[in-house]
Amino acid sequence: MSEVLLQVEKLSKTYPNGVQALKDVDLEVQQGEFLVIIGLSGSGKSTLLRCLNRLQEPTSGKIFFQGQDVSQMQDMREVRAVRRQMAMIFQHFNLIPRQSVLKNVMMGRLAEKTLWQSFWGIFSSEEKKQAMDNLRLVGIAEKAAIRADQLSGGQKQRVAIARALTQKPTLLLADEPVSSLDPATCHVVMDYLRKINQELGITVIANLHFLSLVRKYATRVVALKDGEIVFRGRPDEITEEWFRRIYGEGAQDVAPNDL
Amino acid sequence: MLRRTIFDGVVFGFLLSVLAVAVLAPSEEQLLQLGIVSIWVLAFFMLGCAFSIALAKLQTNTLGAVLFRQVTHPEAEDRPWYRLFWKWQLVVSLLAAFVVAVVKTEFSFIELFDQHGFAGAVRLFKGLLTPNWEVLPRAVLNIVETIFMAFLATSLAIPVAFVLSFVCAKNIMQGPAARTVYFVLRTFLNVTRSIEALIWAIIFSVWVGIGPFAGMLALMIHSVASLAKQYSEMVESVEEGPIEAIESTGANKLQTIWYAIVPQVLLPYISFTVYRWDINVRMATIIGLVGGGGIGTMLVQYQGQAMWREVGCIIVVIAVVVWALDQASAYIREALK
Repeated sequence: MSEVLLQVEKLSKTYPNGVQALKDVDLEVQQGEFLVIIGLSGSGKSTLLRCLNRLQEPTSGKIFFQGQDVSQMQDMREVRAVRRQMAMIFQHFNLIPRQSVLKNVMMGRLAEKTLWQSFWGIFSSEEKKQAMDNLRLVGIAEKAAIRADQLSGGQKQRVAIARALTQKPTLLLADEPVSSLDPATCHVVMDYLRKINQELGITVIANLHFLSLVRKYATRVVALKDGEIVFRGRPDEITEEWFRRIYGEGAQDVAPNDL
Repeated sequence: MLRRTIFDGVVFGFLLSVLAVAVLAPSEEQLLQLGIVSIWVLAFFMLGCAFSIALAKLQTNTLGAVLFRQVTHPEAEDRPWYRLFWKWQLVVSLLAAFVVAVVKTEFSFIELFDQHGFAGAVRLFKGLLTPNWEVLPRAVLNIVETIFMAFLATSLAIPVAFVLSFVCAKNIMQGPAARTVYFVLRTFLNVTRSIEALIWAIIFSVWVGIGPFAGMLALMIHSVASLAKQYSEMVESVEEGPIEAIESTGANKLQTIWYAIVPQVLLPYISFTVYRWDINVRMATIIGLVGGGGIGTMLVQYQGQAMWREVGCIIVVIAVVVWALDQASAYIREALK
């Protein structure tokens, strides 16, 4: 059995408006896994990922990441150190518009920068080389000098992956990475996620919607429904029956299975 | 319910007060007794509130009810307009306000077309339309002073407003301590902004003496308050996504502001600032009238001596410069979009 990278115990999150997004979630993630979380919109998938790197404050429960309890950290410096190791990519890519692709990627280094260096935007040639290497890895090095807002959706997400890689993370959180992409581009982005998972050994936790993508890329699946985990297992164990149980009666997978 | 009652109370109280003044015709002496008058007004207001509550009980929709969407009697809305109480309420109170305004401003067609006064106006316009170009060099020199006064005021205001804009943005100032700072600064800026630049100029002309420096300080204070408000509204409307993304790299608060927020607000900032400079040049002219230096001071000197031909020349210079800057700033702002 490989090493446990992340362990979540009885994690709950209640928003100030009373919505209970997560209810006593237990989860264990092994080093090197490609874990996919499925579930309806509003089932708590995004909240779960955001609690892991403390973009959202968990209400109760524990999160152990490499033996440290992330949920109890009071010192923001410690939280930032954890965030550096847990890179994140988003549904809407969240690149900084009007900045070059290269500069966006180098922002992955901010955690290591002094205030003075970040104020003047001083990045070493070593860091530039790393950023270029990561852009090359996602096959988009030729766009380095272009403004980020001039790229297509798929290209933006690849830049976001490069930015995440520049953090030198051990874990990558992917919050619906392909939900705003067309089906063809979906697979390109997912292929790159698999590549960094298999070749660089970075553990990936991704929120996905399409069952076909889950079957193709995941090594393990958990399903969330109303803030609770209702399914754990291998991707091929999700039958039609399970699918309907997770997504509700009458649900049909809309993903183009044959892609 | 509270809002509609207060609104109707004010409207009915106003009508009752007007009626009382018209019927009782109090002398100016009596009206100056602030204490007694306020008791009357307060009584009328209470009466109005009571009337409003009574109308609500009688299932009649008042203006306040319609305005604050608390209609108690929706089916009545199908009636023609002259059978709706609130429409009569609106028309009558606007008419009353209009009448009071006419009386108060001593509006008079007789004075507007009075033979003697009219001749004076004709003389003035004759002067203005045949400007004395001899004062042109001095006017140009003075308007240059005004333009740079506005420029300095704007540039000095930028860094202050820039820093304030983040401390006055709701989405950045989270947590109890930060919220307190936010409220204190917001209130301070609102008060500062509500004092016109003209008043600041009067204050500073006493403080540092009459001249362009006083005018510049007045414009600067006003610009800081206005720019900080506009800037902070931009900060409040930035997209959350990039902020989340930069935070998730492990960046600290200042880095997040610098890398995720500043790139998003920079262009609107520049656009606002150019516009503010444009406004400041126009304001600087007015401020000169109360001793803020520049072209305004020159204008008020000639106006005091009724030298209309010289005033005409100065007005031409001001108009040309203001027009040119207006166009230039519009072009720059268009290009920044």
